Amino acid sequence: MQTNLPSVATEAKSRSMNWAAIALIGTAIAYLALVLFIPAINVFFQAFRLGVAPFFKNLTASDFTSAVQLTLIIALIVVPINTVFGLCAAWAIARHQFRGKALVISILDLPFAISPVVAGLMVVLLYGNQGWFGSFLQATDIKIIFALPGMIIATAFVTLPFVAREVIPVLEEAGADQEEAARTLGANDWQVFWRVTLPNIRWGLLYGVILTNARAMGEFGAVSVVSGNIARKTQTLPLFVEDAYKQYATQSAFSAAVLLALLAVVTLVLKEILERKTSIKQVEE
Amino acid sequence: MVQQRSFFQWRKVFSSFRGIVALFLVAIAASVSLSACSAASGQRGVELTLVSFAVTKAANVEIIPKFVEKWKREHNQIVTINESYGGSGTQTRAVIDGLEADVVHLALGLDVKKIEKAGLIDAGWEKEAPNNGIVTKSVATIVTREGNPKNIQNWSDLTREGVQVITADPRTSGVARWNFLALWNAAKQAGSDPAKAEEFVTQVYRNVPILARDAREASDAFFKQEQGDALINYENEIILASQKGLTLPYTVPNVNVSIDNPIAIVDKNVNQHGNREVVEAFVKFLYSPEAQTEFAKAGFRPVNAEIAQAKEFTEKFPKVAELATAQDYGGWNTIQQKFFEDGAMFDRIQTAKQ
Amino acid sequence: MRFPKLPPISIPWRIKIAYLTVMLFVPAIALFAKAATASPERFWRIATSPIALSAYEVTFVTALGSAAINGLFGTLIAWVLVRYDFPFKRFIEASVDLPFALPTSVAGLTIATVYSTNGWIGSLLAPFGIRISFTRLGVGIAMLFISLPFVVRTVQPVLKEMEKDVEEAAWSLGASQMETFWRVTLPPLLPAILTGIALGFSRAVGEYGSTVIVASNTPFRDLIAPVLIFQRLEQYDYAGATVIGVVMLAISLLLLLVINLLQAWGRRYAN
Repeated sequence: MQTNLPSVATEAKSRSMNWAAIALIGTAIAYLALVLFIPAINVFFQAFRLGVAPFFKNLTASDFTSAVQLTLIIALIVVPINTVFGLCAAWAIARHQFRGKALVISILDLPFAISPVVAGLMVVLLYGNQGWFGSFLQATDIKIIFALPGMIIATAFVTLPFVAREVIPVLEEAGADQEEAARTLGANDWQVFWRVTLPNIRWGLLYGVILTNARAMGEFGAVSVVSGNIARKTQTLPLFVEDAYKQYATQSAFSAAVLLALLAVVTLVLKEILERKTSIKQVEE
Repeated sequence: MVQQRSFFQWRKVFSSFRGIVALFLVAIAASVSLSACSAASGQRGVELTLVSFAVTKAANVEIIPKFVEKWKREHNQIVTINESYGGSGTQTRAVIDGLEADVVHLALGLDVKKIEKAGLIDAGWEKEAPNNGIVTKSVATIVTREGNPKNIQNWSDLTREGVQVITADPRTSGVARWNFLALWNAAKQAGSDPAKAEEFVTQVYRNVPILARDAREASDAFFKQEQGDALINYENEIILASQKGLTLPYTVPNVNVSIDNPIAIVDKNVNQHGNREVVEAFVKFLYSPEAQTEFAKAGFRPVNAEIAQAKEFTEKFPKVAELATAQDYGGWNTIQQKFFEDGAMFDRIQTAKQ
Repeated sequence: MRFPKLPPISIPWRIKIAYLTVMLFVPAIALFAKAATASPERFWRIATSPIALSAYEVTFVTALGSAAINGLFGTLIAWVLVRYDFPFKRFIEASVDLPFALPTSVAGLTIATVYSTNGWIGSLLAPFGIRISFTRLGVGIAMLFISLPFVVRTVQPVLKEMEKDVEEAAWSLGASQMETFWRVTLPPLLPAILTGIALGFSRAVGEYGSTVIVASNTPFRDLIAPVLIFQRLEQYDYAGATVIGVVMLAISLLLLLVINLLQAWGRRYAN
């Protein structure tokens, strides 16, 4: 299969010259421009409207840096947890035949469909003062809601399905043959997973992780209901943006938004690096 | 081989339901201790949590350092004030659900009453602070375009055909109920009976093409996206907007409502935290001339009579001839029931728009 | 609670079920329980009031439309990113995830500004009488924005994994590019596309932060269900809010089931 590489490369090159490709690329870019780029450029425009210096001044305010810290901490906790869950769920669904698969997958999709407001409400209904565990939590003075744990739960909830849903199609596409082969050759489950499955699903997994991370960092609705928005304590970057905006500090709000966008870009750059490293490895093999 | 052994160890944890629940609890405990670590820094002094509605931040930025300094001078103690800002209704719900506020500064009395009803504030809170618990005030204003091309001077002009009015939705922003009340009040003061007054208000809301999520969105729709011919918003909001660069001519109608923002001590939390002394001192400080001046600078009408008389503020805040209060209409519970409950007047107006 | 020692294969199942129970089922039950505190009569009244019914329609139909549009263009974008090389490709690749990273309120603000009658794009359409911001169209664009990454990022990995041999075999046998695409490439992609559409749809249905800013929130025109939920909360009517939440959950689950069944059926048919 690898020996085909040179001919595929030249094929690709000649393909990218033909008019069909140009039309497709053009349409894609036009659509992206209308729906994505122009609104995004406006965000940058708003952030830098009063100049570059005020932008950087906003970035050094202590409220802001605390918000960045909190956002990163939450992402660092939520992403691994949901990755593990996602892999388990994907494996369980893709590698087994059972009735009601569509139902299970639909249930998995639910956290998306639930409005963030409702998601936050659900957490409040459980852990709030008047919630199911309310009196227990008050008695034992464990702070879940309006503190970090509540925010983690809310964020984990809304990012629950990503890894699973990204990995399932890839896992199904890859097929179980190689894994079965490895098993008959004596590999145990962990070895099968680490050496056979993982390389096959790495793109799905990677995209799933990136989506989870992006959403975890950018989530507003659910977190706003459960955080209490205490400056420097329970205020994430998206909450900071909303807060600044409410105070008519528009530029500060958009500056923070720009930073969030850049954080997302950083994760993507990391992905690119990873991509390049692993594909180099593959060619070498 | 080493990989295998560690995996078997992990398997033991994962292979029981209890193990998974235990892991979940461990994660929670870890994050609880993480947040406890950051809270530990406030041990040496005393802490106070202020939960307020959104636009008081501009004033609090100045007021809080002054109070901290004063307290340090008088009691040789460092007080850390945690601040939370948000929509009045949202903040209220948060406090009821467990946000440990010591002091709440909200945009309308109804919200404080809700917290009282939930058992967190003792009855009689209105008497605890001066001026019936009201610490800042504002009025409703009508903002127009440059040059006022449609010649909108008063509330009745908003019922004219072809005039597009932008205002916040009282259903997504409880504070916007003040705007509705201002319109109702205008009709009643002009001598209309309830049926005519309802018609008046219906006519105005028929001219509303955009019900903004809240006051800030309403400002944006009007100033930024240039929608509508007139904007109904609170004076303090408009003054703050103009300080931040959004400026357009506005009138303060002579027949108006007093938008009273109450402050209250959340007794349950204060008793638990044991910081009543500093909390009461803070509330008292908000009525002092220094604090009231800061509020006035940020666009709120001061409740301190002395400050209100100061020259710079009499210019800034035009006198309103006929000022009604929520009490004049039976208090917030009655207002809520009459206008904003399911199927009440606002609902009827919305359905009539169809 | 002692479980018998089961073979290792069920570990993923255990983790999955346990996690879902704690994170999804229990909260969902709490939601249903709260909604159940409203009397059946009140439940019905809130759930089926004219404003609520119109809100469901606006929400689900607009979300479905946006998801379908994104299904088409998202696949196109994924295709273009995987199969071709062109200037700025890296940059475009990175920007696809932007809708996730931006807080929803910022998304709403920027779309409302750009597409309003005095905005960069809106002003170009205003002379034709087309208003986007503060109408249902604006809500649609906001939904397009926030659900775009789903289709792209779901189709991309599958495309990357697809072996080009089969395509090349088809070409060498004389099939045109179009034929190859429709008969060879598309069928294996369809499940992923439908997945992306399902995800995008779900996301758009629940969206509040951006849509509430772009919409005029006029009942019967562009008032969406999540805003209705927030209105209930603002009235301190938790039970009422959960009623609408439950209705939306039920409808979403149903529609998701349909999309996912379609997908499963399509895959079986392809095989």
